[in-house]
Amino acid sequence: MRMRAPLCSRRAGRLVFFLALAVLLLLTVLFARQLCPYDPNAQVFETLLPPSAEHLAGTDRLGRDLLSRILMGLRTSVLATLFLVAAVTAAGTAVGVLCGVLGGAADGLLMRVSDVCLAFPSLVFALGVAALLGGGLHNAVLALAVIGWPKYARIARSQVLALENADFIAAARLAGDTNGQIILRHLLPNILGPILVTAVLDIGTMMMELAGLSFLGLGAMPPTAELGSMMSDGRSMLQTYPWVVLAPGVAIFVAVAVFNLLGDALRDWLDPKNSARGESPGRTNETARETP
Amino acid sequence: MKRRKRVLALLAAACLSAALLAGCGGDGGSEETDGAFVLGDTTFNAENEEPDVNPHNAYSGWACIRYGVGETLFRWSDSMEIEPWLATGYERTDEYTWVITLRDGVTFSSGRPLDGQAVQACLTHLVETHDRARGDLMIESIAAEGQTVTITTAEPRPTLLNYLSDPYGCIIDMEAGVTEEGVVVGTGPYVVTSLKSGEELDLVKNETYWGGTPGYDRIKVLTITDGDTLTMALQSGQIDAAYGLPYASYPLFENEDYTISSCATSRTFFLHMNFESAVIQDDAVRRAIAMGVDKERFVEDLLDGNGYVAAGPFPDSFSFGGGAVTDRDYDPEGAKALLEQAGWVDTDGDGIREKDGQKLTIRYLTYPSRQELPLLAEAIQASLGDIGIEVVVNVTADHNSIRVDPGAWDVYASAMVTAPTGDPAYFFTTHCLDDSAVNNGHYHSDALEAQAAALDGAFDPAQRAELAVAMQQTILDDDAFVFCSHLQMTMISRADVAGLTAHPCDFYEITADLRPAA
Amino acid sequence: MKRYIAKRLLQLIPILLAITFLSFAMMRLAGSDAVLQKMENTGMVLSQDVIDAARAELGLDKPFLTQYFVWLGNLLQGDMGVSYISGRAVLPTFLSKLPATLLLTAVSLAMTVAVSIPLGVLAAVRQNRLTDALIRAASFVGNSLPNFFVALLLMYVFAIRLGWLPVISREVTLPNVLLPALTLAIAMSAKYLRQVRAAVLDELSRDYVMGARARGVPFRVTLTKSVLRACMTTILTLLALSIGSLLGGTAIVESIFMWDGVGKLAVDAINMRDYPMIQAYVMWMAIIYVFVNLAADLSYRALDPRIRLGGERP
Repeated sequence: MRMRAPLCSRRAGRLVFFLALAVLLLLTVLFARQLCPYDPNAQVFETLLPPSAEHLAGTDRLGRDLLSRILMGLRTSVLATLFLVAAVTAAGTAVGVLCGVLGGAADGLLMRVSDVCLAFPSLVFALGVAALLGGGLHNAVLALAVIGWPKYARIARSQVLALENADFIAAARLAGDTNGQIILRHLLPNILGPILVTAVLDIGTMMMELAGLSFLGLGAMPPTAELGSMMSDGRSMLQTYPWVVLAPGVAIFVAVAVFNLLGDALRDWLDPKNSARGESPGRTNETARETP
Repeated sequence: MKRRKRVLALLAAACLSAALLAGCGGDGGSEETDGAFVLGDTTFNAENEEPDVNPHNAYSGWACIRYGVGETLFRWSDSMEIEPWLATGYERTDEYTWVITLRDGVTFSSGRPLDGQAVQACLTHLVETHDRARGDLMIESIAAEGQTVTITTAEPRPTLLNYLSDPYGCIIDMEAGVTEEGVVVGTGPYVVTSLKSGEELDLVKNETYWGGTPGYDRIKVLTITDGDTLTMALQSGQIDAAYGLPYASYPLFENEDYTISSCATSRTFFLHMNFESAVIQDDAVRRAIAMGVDKERFVEDLLDGNGYVAAGPFPDSFSFGGGAVTDRDYDPEGAKALLEQAGWVDTDGDGIREKDGQKLTIRYLTYPSRQELPLLAEAIQASLGDIGIEVVVNVTADHNSIRVDPGAWDVYASAMVTAPTGDPAYFFTTHCLDDSAVNNGHYHSDALEAQAAALDGAFDPAQRAELAVAMQQTILDDDAFVFCSHLQMTMISRADVAGLTAHPCDFYEITADLRPAA
Repeated sequence: MKRYIAKRLLQLIPILLAITFLSFAMMRLAGSDAVLQKMENTGMVLSQDVIDAARAELGLDKPFLTQYFVWLGNLLQGDMGVSYISGRAVLPTFLSKLPATLLLTAVSLAMTVAVSIPLGVLAAVRQNRLTDALIRAASFVGNSLPNFFVALLLMYVFAIRLGWLPVISREVTLPNVLLPALTLAIAMSAKYLRQVRAAVLDELSRDYVMGARARGVPFRVTLTKSVLRACMTTILTLLALSIGSLLGGTAIVESIFMWDGVGKLAVDAINMRDYPMIQAYVMWMAIIYVFVNLAADLSYRALDPRIRLGGERP
């Protein structure tokens, strides 16, 4: 521990730095419309102009300013991803904590449901949702949310189980605290750290998953700009008009990297000792899936 | 100092391992392709109804004829006229009876000579097993005598020869039969040696081909469904020619190392108007939409010139296609004036017109499996937006269930083949009549129904063409459909390949003319 | 132990029932069907009679529940049906795609482990120095790009610029698998590397490492003998995660390289609404899920006998 002392402040410094970057990204996203040099939907320029002083990222196949499209696309992608991650984290944590505290049949049932969700190919699910509720980004988000919560439920549950025998929980029980009080006062504050780290590190993955779905026509409807579909639509132009793919690629890269770095810094800061287990929630039956 | 050394060592190690990994596959590119011609195609698989080369199965006839295995009795010339192929001529003795004379000296690659009996056996099997062919041909009986075949139809079939020229009409040797893999024996310049459905087809030269010596000893057809992979396969030399490249790749091949051959096909991108929708029932709105679509821009800018502006359903290569009909000119000012006149005015200044408190909003349905359709949707959304029509686009793979619900859309954009057999009747009977299978917008016109009935009984090609023009004009005048562009079909081959030429009917690819360039 | 394994395997049955039913329902709700998808691809119109006949032939005209139970009944007799698209039997078709996916899984994992463990350990040992920073920066690059993009870039560099590897990897051979495997390995290595680094750091901060150093045990020996061994849990967790998703097929990478595995099969089947094939795929996914988790739990136990099995309550 002696060796770590000076590092702690350094960790905090890194965290502040990446937090600032993330805030900057969020501000960019929130004020995207104001930052756009041109109307992102106006098809008024010459098509496929290479980057220049007037169009910093060039123009796309429909003659729209790419920088404006990217700013708006970043907004769509980041906001949708944040919403998705927030939703699965909240729902998953709630289920996981309940399972951990209640135990018994409810626990068994919910864990079997989560097995089904984890084992179910998300592509099949997303297609079904799109058919039931129609296409569009919000439904793609919904589909991923409905099938994505178990990961967090597993983490929360295993954390709760690990804590249940801790002395302070036993003390609280002896003091006559109800389940609700124990959850709010003692469990949640203690398990939030690892969950938060997982969530932040998941933002990048989720952003790519959403991009994968919009590639299959389940994403944002025109004229809404969205980074994933901008990249997959433009991929044939990699050799001929590279900026059409590279520009949104750089935007995705930056956004994902900012959140990943923030997640790493957060993990180091929250729990330097336990950093190895922050992302991999031990030996719970947790299986990650990739959208095919 | 020490640190720098370690970094260097690290980088060196990384490079080394990358090189090692790559080195393992140093000669991985050679797939015994010496001297063989390799064609990459995107659609030769069961997903496109071409699981094999058996013309009596689904749309596999397309593969049979395209890859030089089978040939039909009649074929399409470059100007889309019917000309004899395995037949040398025909005589129609009455409205039901056709006597077809076969070419002498043609043999199947099995060695069996092509005679009336062989054709009779093949066509009999065709109409027994192939629903579409049975419905098209309406064959009552077939008789064979020497080198003639007499076909009697159940109803007058003015377009019998068109149907016989469809790829399902490839004449195959029924004695040799159809293998389990779907391999057949035809009369074409190449013979199948092996077939892996959805993957690859191996062919060898037909030594006894009747129409000259085929140019290659061996040919391999690879199914490559991803357009970018196909592009890179052609660039790397792994394939010699490609069909179905993405437009964006064309500039890579516009140089002396490659030969590009393209032509218009009858696959057409067009809008269906929904006559069950209140907004669309307004004549002014339909006409304004027709006037507000900038077809020229779609083709020139968005497709990079790789398409043809459409007036009606049929391209220029047909005598009754292209400019034979008059469509609405792109005229945004005219469209605005028209809407203004009809009472659609933007009163609240949001850029969208209203009438009786209702916004002029069009629900536009289309699907993503054709790369051009979403692009068309975005272009139309912008250009109609300029004239004050709000377009809400729904691009979904689920369009088939939505389009049959007349309450769920106003305009539907699709990409369908309008004249697969070179005859105009097909488009109208499938899209525009009361009993059409995909008259999604429930369009009805008394005039058109009458014209269609007349077309049914017309044998004279000139009269059919005349009727076809009149019918196209009817639907265009009603603004029931807006035809935006015709698909351009393109084949790109390496410069050392000669004779791979795009044909307007999209049937003929590998022929005896295909050979190494001199 | 045996009872435990048997119990875990029994869990497979309700999971299989639930997900096959769910996927059946989902795909039936998805509006289109195999008949209409084929019509869309060919661009030819079929008459309603032909469509109805084709549907009847596939049994698509029957009520949804009937279809499910017919399918389930056949399954129990070992019959998984025929593909709506190719008309071939589902099981042999599916099995024929497995070797490609297995090879891709094995090679990409081997590459990942070969790259990420040494680099991860190096980064941890050189914590917060330039080496560490470089390695970590590289790992972010690998982790922040969509894999179709990485695939195209690699294909461009190795197959076109350098001409070392084939673009299309049709035959299941070692040279052919390298590019798709490398694409997957890049993204996975990035993740593994960070985890290995964290695990080694965690282990290095433990008292026994100090003790060993104090006793004069060479650092190299401590590292290889004790630290790496202790990090195996982390690596096993990661392997379990990766094997699960890799065996499910990596659709985008398989499609781009025309690598004929189950991922490509699944996407094609979903796009074409080839229900029997989709059912085979979701069953495969469920089986992988249960077996991989079981294997992971058993190996944790083998590594550390103190661990109780399977998330049971203390």
